[in-house]
Amino acid sequence: MNAGVEKRLSVVWLALSAITILQLGVVSLDGQAALARSSAITASAIVIALIKVRIIIREFMGVRHAPEMLGRLTDLWVVLTGAILLGGYLAGAAFAKG
Amino acid sequence: MNESATATVPAEPPRSFLRKIAWQLRHDEKRELWIGWWTLVVFYNLYGLLFFVITRTQPPPKPSLDPSEIVQWFADRRHGLIYGYGIVFIVGGATAIMNATLAYSMRRMSVSRAFAYSYLVIYALSTLPGMLLMGIVGTVGAMRPDRDPALMVWLYDFAFLSFEGTMGVFLIGSLVWMVAVLLDENGVFPKWFAYLNLCNALTEVVVAPAWIFRSGPFAWNGTIAWWINMGVFVTYTSVFLTLLRRLILREDFGTGPLPELAKDRAPRSSGLLEAAR
Amino acid sequence: MTNAASAQSGARGPLEAARFVPGQPDMWAFVLFEAFVFTSYFTVYVVSRARNPDLFLASQAHLDLRVGVVNTLLLLTSSLFVARCVQAAREGSYQAATTNAFLTMFFGFAFLVSKLREWVVEIGQGFTFTSDEFFSFYYFLTAIHFIHLLIGFVVLAVAVHQLRNPARRSQVIVETCATYWHTIDFLWVLIFALLYVMR
Repeated sequence: MNAGVEKRLSVVWLALSAITILQLGVVSLDGQAALARSSAITASAIVIALIKVRIIIREFMGVRHAPEMLGRLTDLWVVLTGAILLGGYLAGAAFAKG
Repeated sequence: MNESATATVPAEPPRSFLRKIAWQLRHDEKRELWIGWWTLVVFYNLYGLLFFVITRTQPPPKPSLDPSEIVQWFADRRHGLIYGYGIVFIVGGATAIMNATLAYSMRRMSVSRAFAYSYLVIYALSTLPGMLLMGIVGTVGAMRPDRDPALMVWLYDFAFLSFEGTMGVFLIGSLVWMVAVLLDENGVFPKWFAYLNLCNALTEVVVAPAWIFRSGPFAWNGTIAWWINMGVFVTYTSVFLTLLRRLILREDFGTGPLPELAKDRAPRSSGLLEAAR
Repeated sequence: MTNAASAQSGARGPLEAARFVPGQPDMWAFVLFEAFVFTSYFTVYVVSRARNPDLFLASQAHLDLRVGVVNTLLLLTSSLFVARCVQAAREGSYQAATTNAFLTMFFGFAFLVSKLREWVVEIGQGFTFTSDEFFSFYYFLTAIHFIHLLIGFVVLAVAVHQLRNPARRSQVIVETCATYWHTIDFLWVLIFALLYVMR
């Protein structure tokens, strides 16, 4: 296999795995992680997840080499999802039962 | 009278609208297909009107209503239910023509005829939960407003569970169409339509929790089980109506690959186009 | 379509040479559509959660974050292997491609087993689909994802079927299958963040 491509894929995989394991660490480090609301953790969880998703789309799925339109469409979905999820979380919090 | 398309038929249909329709009914070799297609379009619109506006049974009401509220629900819609569903019972047979048109698309494909036949059977069955049961129960409920409330509750649950909660026929039907499109070598439908059938099939699975929940997003009126589902279903229906129209326009009554429409036969020699594909 | 396919596999030289859509554009249409459908499901979840955070937090505590992390890693690894499979096929190394496809299946299967085990444990502890709002969403999202995963195995089988026979080996089909598989992966990444991590 083309050594350059193989290496790139492995590096991407390592980065994604590292981020995932770090997410475990961040939540565990916060002593009250289990039962405390945290918009910081929530927002970062969503954003980090979307970063991972974008990396998967661009690197693993090959959108990096695809016509720009595909890149823009997938980016549009990533951004919209982030906006809707974060917005939904904040909107829902405004109507929280307590 | 010689009905041959080439012998005695004038070259073009007459200008006036009514005469043009008459000419097409007599001479257009695709008239049955067009009748089938227009039946689909008219019926789906009528269906929407009858269920959403006249009977007002869609969007569905809450499963969590108490008996007196349910009795009131039927009372509020009494005439709409009787007349609206009365119309459904009269024109319901049109589904035969509709399903035949859909199955025709599979006959035109290079795949086994078994696909078209199974689809026909499955969707013939589907008129029961998809239309008739709800209609029957609705009119039964509306007929005697002074019926025992416990019975009204029973009718209410039966109506909506049979209508919203049944999936087997639609799920399998969508999968049959999906496989047919994927295997087809005649290019009758684009491959993305096969994948859209998969989406439609999966939404049937998403409706399943409606049997369990009386409130929330998974109840028969829930955001997920009804609203989002309906979004996918409406998209799916609009798409296949459009694709069927294109099929009929392209139809050459052969058995080989279906020709593209003239406007779509873009030159494929452009390097950019190849790269983009 | 088939003309474009053969031209496409012929035109595949070094990656940087020409921009191409990986696999059928049709599959990308599906991926985007499903992605939006899932976004709508996630939105309902997030709004419900924000309106009742204490209940969701309390129930979420019964999930094992470590298992969630392991599951995510398993799918990420499976994605790595299907990407390698596509690359190998692109270079004509069909034996390597087939091996990578099987490795993809292996890690996918590992996820399947892990997920089933997790469900069994949770149900054993009394947390079912109808326990509370959080668990309804938990089982719904993970189950609909699971169904996509099962379909993924069929899709991978199609890819392997292509790779094994010199008479077939359509690069477009193999890439289309890979595109589907990656979607299962990235949808899980989001599900993991929403069910296991967010507070």
